[in-house]
Order: sequence, then C-alpha cells, then structure tokens
Amino acid sequence: MKRTLRGRTAIIGAGRSQVGRVPDRSPLLLAADATQAALADAGLAKTDIDGVLASPALAAPFHRFSVAFSEYLGIQPTFSNTLQVSGATAATQFNIAAAAIAGGLAETILIVGADSLLTGLTPDLALRALTESRDQQYEMPFGIPVANTFAMTALRHMHEYGTTAEQLAMVAVIEREHAARTPGAQMTAPITVDDVLNSGWVTTPYHKLDCSLISDGGAAFIVTSAERARALGVAKPVYILGGGECYTHEHIFLMPSLTTTGAVRSSAKAYAMAGCTPAEIDVAGVYDCFTGTVIMMLEDLGFCPKGEGGRFVADRQMTYGGAIPCNTHGGLLSFAHSGMPGSLFHFDEIVHQLRGECGERQVDGAELALVHSLGGGFATQATTILGTAATL
Amino acid sequence: MAHTAMNPDDALRKPLPAPDADSAAFWAGMREGRLLLQHCLACGHVQYYQQGICRVCGSDRLEHRAASGRGVVYSYSVVHRAPGPAFKADTPYALLLVELGEGPRMVSSLVDGDHAAVTIGMAVELVFDPVTDQVTLPRFRPVRAGS
Repeated sequence: MKRTLRGRTAIIGAGRSQVGRVPDRSPLLLAADATQAALADAGLAKTDIDGVLASPALAAPFHRFSVAFSEYLGIQPTFSNTLQVSGATAATQFNIAAAAIAGGLAETILIVGADSLLTGLTPDLALRALTESRDQQYEMPFGIPVANTFAMTALRHMHEYGTTAEQLAMVAVIEREHAARTPGAQMTAPITVDDVLNSGWVTTPYHKLDCSLISDGGAAFIVTSAERARALGVAKPVYILGGGECYTHEHIFLMPSLTTTGAVRSSAKAYAMAGCTPAEIDVAGVYDCFTGTVIMMLEDLGFCPKGEGGRFVADRQMTYGGAIPCNTHGGLLSFAHSGMPGSLFHFDEIVHQLRGECGERQVDGAELALVHSLGGGFATQATTILGTAATL
Repeated sequence: MAHTAMNPDDALRKPLPAPDADSAAFWAGMREGRLLLQHCLACGHVQYYQQGICRVCGSDRLEHRAASGRGVVYSYSVVHRAPGPAFKADTPYALLLVELGEGPRMVSSLVDGDHAAVTIGMAVELVFDPVTDQVTLPRFRPVRAGS
C-alpha cells in the first residue's frame, strides 16, 4: 500500500489574535484568542480537541508550551508536543498533525502558536534571543546573529545571478500593497523601491524595509480527519495534500550551497505526495523573513528557474495577475512577524483564500495552494500543500 | 518558566567560545597560533567544525593539521545594526564567510582592512586575535599585493 497523507486530513477551523503591538495580552492569552476564534470557526468546543501541537514562545519560555497552554485553556489532550525547528516549525505542525491523525494518535488536533516579540520580551529574554540564536563557539563570537546568515546568502545570490537591490526591494513593495488590503495588518502605508533603498542599512545587502517586522500575535487551527470533517458537515474543508521537509545544516559555514537550499527537496516531496506541479499552484505563502529569502524560495519551490527570481519579482509575477500570487496578506514583511508563529499567518491567509473568503484580496479560482516555512538561516525547510475538495 | 535570569552585564560582553570535549584541542591550538583542521585519515575529508567523527565517512581517525591561513571571501555582510550592545561600538564591521585553501568554510570578521572594500572572491589571510588570556579568535585581513 502506498503510504501518503494526501487528502486524509483537513483544516476545519482557523483563527488569529490581534497582531502588531498588543501590549496588554500575554503569549498564552494571544494563543487563547486565536484558539477560541479557530474553534468558533470550526463550530467545535474545546472538549473536541484531543491533540495539541504548539510552537514555543520566547516571551513565555515554558519547557513545554503545548502542555502549559493546554492547562491555560483547560483541556487534557491525549497527544501533545511543542515543535522547534525555528521558522520552519509552522509547516511541520501541519505535516505532523496530518501524520498523527492519519496514524490514529489523535482525531482533532489544535495547531497553535503565539508570541509577544514586540512588547513582551523583558531585557533578559531579549538578550537570550540575541545571544543564543547561533553557535556559541564558531559563530556568535564574531557578532553574527541569524539575520546576517540570511544576508550572506543574499549577497552570494546577487554575485552569482546578478540579482539587484532594486529587485530585492520589489518584494517589500508588493507585499506592502497586499497588506494595505488586509484588515489588521501591522504596516499598511504604501512604499516604493526608493523608500526601501533609503530606509537605512541593517546588514548588507539588507535595509530596514528589506527586513521583516517584529510583532505580537498568534494563530490557531483545527485539523481533523477527512471522515470527521464530512461527518461534521464542514462547508469548506481545506485538505492537507502533501508535506515535505529538509534539514541541510546547522551552521551557516556548513550550508552546502548558499543559493540553492533544502527547499528544493522539501517541496519536491510535498509536490510528489500531493500529485501536482509548481505550475498548478494557484496561490502561495512563502516564508519572507527578508526580501531576498522570497526570491531564492520562488526559485527553489519551482515557480521560476534558478537565478531568475529577481527578474520574476521585478516583473510582478508574485502578485495578482502574475504567475503565483504570494503572501497576499502582506507576509512577515508587512502583516506581522511574531517569531515562530509568523508563518502560521501564511496558513491563515491560505485557508481563507481556498475558502474564497478574501474579498478584494481574493485570488480568482484558488483551489490549490502551497505554504513554505523555513528558518535558522535556511537550515530548516518545510512545505505543506493544501487544496479544496475539488483537488481531491 | 524555564529560565533563570541572566546577568544584565552579560549584554555588554561579547560571547566567547566555551571549549568542549570536541573542541578543546582546537582552541588550545588557536592560543598557540595554529588553526587546526581535522583531516580524515580514512577518506581525506577536511573539516573545520571540530567533532569526534568524520562527517563524510564516520571514521574517528582524524588528524589535526595547521591550516595554511590563506582563503577567499565566499560571502560577507557589513553589519550596521549590531546584534546587541556588545558589538555596537564595532559597527560597521564586515562579517566574512571565508573559504579556506584546504576547502572548509568558516565564519570570521575582517581586521586591518576597509569593510567597504570587501568583495566576494577577495583573497584574505588568517590573523590570530588574542581577545583574552584564554581565547584567541581567528580573524582575516586582506592579502596585500606582494605579501
């Protein structure tokens, strides 16, 4: 028997907290806000949840966030874990939830993540976030947090393929256009390529507006078996069609290639499981911690040839009317980035796109979608492919 | 909560390597002015990151040999916004991803050179920087014509 997760589980509820600057709510309360919204969306009660898969929160550093949050919510699940592969965690939450449900470990899983990076970090926790992010012997003594690892890959991409600063900036410009149409987005004022280039250096080749936001906020999802989704009469289940992951290195100096990443293999696995090609994807959520990250991922995920990402973006292929509308909510660059939960907002947007609920942001005929999450300076890569009932 | 508080003064101190069983010989070598690479006697693989087995073939027959100290800039980034107070006074500074002549890459930073003049492919040479009595860090400077 062929082992596959294709179509065996579905997302039946999605919810998120307020995002941006939310100083009066802890990460646990943001997670509760998102969970209650997701349960209401699914038409379920908290007692219907028998599994929890969470990402950890820097501003609420429990050893076992999923367990602490279950206590906070007042549930006693029979399946629970807190996953940690940096920014890639979000897609792994969906992949593992699908596998756990298909394998019988749980029936209805809550996927949740929330953090308060903007207002909730004490100086002590902020210091930990800075100093513990990279290797203590071979990286940190030189003053290289994770942002610089992404910067070095982008400069190498510019060197190898002629990608320009203006092309990088276009990613930020387009995502800001998207955020302007997204209620609740953190940054909505229009920006130009010149605005990006004049926003001040952070670490070359990245200016301030090439970098993602720092935010408070969380998101939650209810995933269950396809059978249960049908039994519940869910109007528009969003099916998990395929998943794949790849972990190529821990240290930036052991990254096999600075310009071709593990996303090639993670997405190849997901496409194979889903039985589709990149050209068939209608809308995508692509991890966008920096502008150059998107350009490299558009290549590695197969939306354009290697080295063509800069021209692809400058040609507006990543927005409406282009080859693959990406991050239609505004992404980590303009919607919100609360750390490990940041990529959950891509999933939230994709669920609503596939349900046809995005109003003026709606991508016409969105049936098949991809979300790609990554982290750790391209060390961790995870892809999930989602689709409507029409794609089964 | 999981963590106890850190000392706030830690924010002002640059992190220093704390050698472990895998890396003690490497950091001892640095103090003596030698950057020790691990050469696998079974398959010939050369590695910078110090570990008990070869990352290619799994052999534990690893021999330390001093690096030539020559390399090229494989990539870099000039840091304008420091990762914390400890590095603020140094900005702007050039972080380097150096590809050593022996093959491995390593993270370092530029000394004795203009951060704005760094280019990918630029030839650099190793400099031993004794930052404390216990710790010497490997840094790189541009190879000057005729040197």
